[in-house]
Amino acid sequence: MKLARTIGWAGLAFACGAAFAAMPTETDVANAEDVVNKVRAAARYLHDKGASAYADFNQKDGRWVWKDSYVFVYDCRKDRMIAHPLRPDLVGKPIMQITDNSGKYIFKDLCKAGNEPRGGWVEYSWPKPGAGRLSRKVSYATAADISFAAGIQVSAGIYDEGITLPELSKVLERLSDPAKYPAL
Amino acid sequence: MAEQKLGNPAVVGLAGFGLTTMVLQFHNVGWMGLGPVVWLGLIFGGLAQMIAGLQEMKTGNNFGYCAFTGYGCFWIALTLLLVGNHYNIYISSKTDVGWFLVAWTLFTVILWVGAMRVSSALAITFTLLLIGFILLDLAHFGYPDLTVVAGYELMVTAAMAWYIMAHIIYADLFGRDVLPVGKPWIG
Repeated sequence: MKLARTIGWAGLAFACGAAFAAMPTETDVANAEDVVNKVRAAARYLHDKGASAYADFNQKDGRWVWKDSYVFVYDCRKDRMIAHPLRPDLVGKPIMQITDNSGKYIFKDLCKAGNEPRGGWVEYSWPKPGAGRLSRKVSYATAADISFAAGIQVSAGIYDEGITLPELSKVLERLSDPAKYPAL
Repeated sequence: MAEQKLGNPAVVGLAGFGLTTMVLQFHNVGWMGLGPVVWLGLIFGGLAQMIAGLQEMKTGNNFGYCAFTGYGCFWIALTLLLVGNHYNIYISSKTDVGWFLVAWTLFTVILWVGAMRVSSALAITFTLLLIGFILLDLAHFGYPDLTVVAGYELMVTAAMAWYIMAHIIYADLFGRDVLPVGKPWIG
C-alpha cells in the first residue's frame, strides 16, 4: 500500500513536471518589441539587398523565423504574397481576398497600417505555429523600400489574447522615439 | 570595284536600348519579375549596345559613340549590380542605386542638349529619357510610387528609340524616308 502511494505521488510529480516543461516560457514567446524590431530589421535588409533578398524570407529555418513568430513579405500593389516561411502555398498568390474567421480582410488592413509613416498594428485570427488552432494575432506591418518596386510591405505578429491596440501603439511610439532609438 | 555597303551601328544600339528599357518598365509597373531584365540587360542592352557604340567611332558620330557605349555600360553595370546583391558582392542598397541613377541623370542632361541638334525624334526620346531618370531618382529618394509612373513614361521612351531604329531600317529597305524623324530643335 505504502509502495503504491509512493509510486502514485511520483507519477503525479512526473506528470506535473512534464506539463510544466511543455508550457511555453517567456523566452519562447515573441513580444511586441521583438516584433517591431524584427520587422524593421527585415525592412532594412530588403532596402539593402533589394529583390534578391526575397528568397531568404521563405526559409523555414532562417533568421526571419524566431520564437513563436515569423516575418512575411507581400506586395500590396500587385496583390501578391512574396514570401511566407510557413505557408509556401500562399507564395505568389493573391492576398487581398484572404479573410479570417470573422470575415475580416486581413491584408487590406495590413496594407493600410503598413502605409502609415511608423507602420501600424492589425488584429485578426490566424493559426499559431505549432498550436494547430486559431489564435488572436496582432501583426505589425511597415513598408519596405526596394529599388524598382512599389507597395512592398513586411509584417510579423504576436499571439496574445489580452494585449490591447492602445498598448501596442504605445510600444510603437516608444520604439519610434528617435531620442531613445536612433532611426534604422 | 564598288564600295562595300556598311550597316549603321545605331540600329543595334537603338534596338538594345529600346528593348531592355522596355522590359525593365514591364517589371517596374509590376507585370514581370527581374530575371529577364538581368539577362537581356547584360546581353542586348549591355554587350550589344556597347559594341554598337564602339562601332560608331568609325562612322565619325561622336554622339552615337558616347551614347550607345555609355548606356551599354549602364546596362552591364546595373545588371551586375543586381547579380552582386544576390551573391553578397559589394551590396548596393536602394540609396546606392538611387545615387547611381542620379549620376546617369546628369550624363543624360548633356546628351539631351546634343540630341536637340540631331532630330526632333531624338530630342523627344532624350527628353522622355531624362524625365524617366528624374522620376526614378525621386522613386529612390522618398517617392517609391513614382516607380510605376516612371515605368509607363519610360515605355514611351523605349518606343521612341524603336521608332528611330525603324526609321533607319525602313529608309534603307524602302529606298525612301517612310518614318520621318523631323528637323533638329536647335538649328
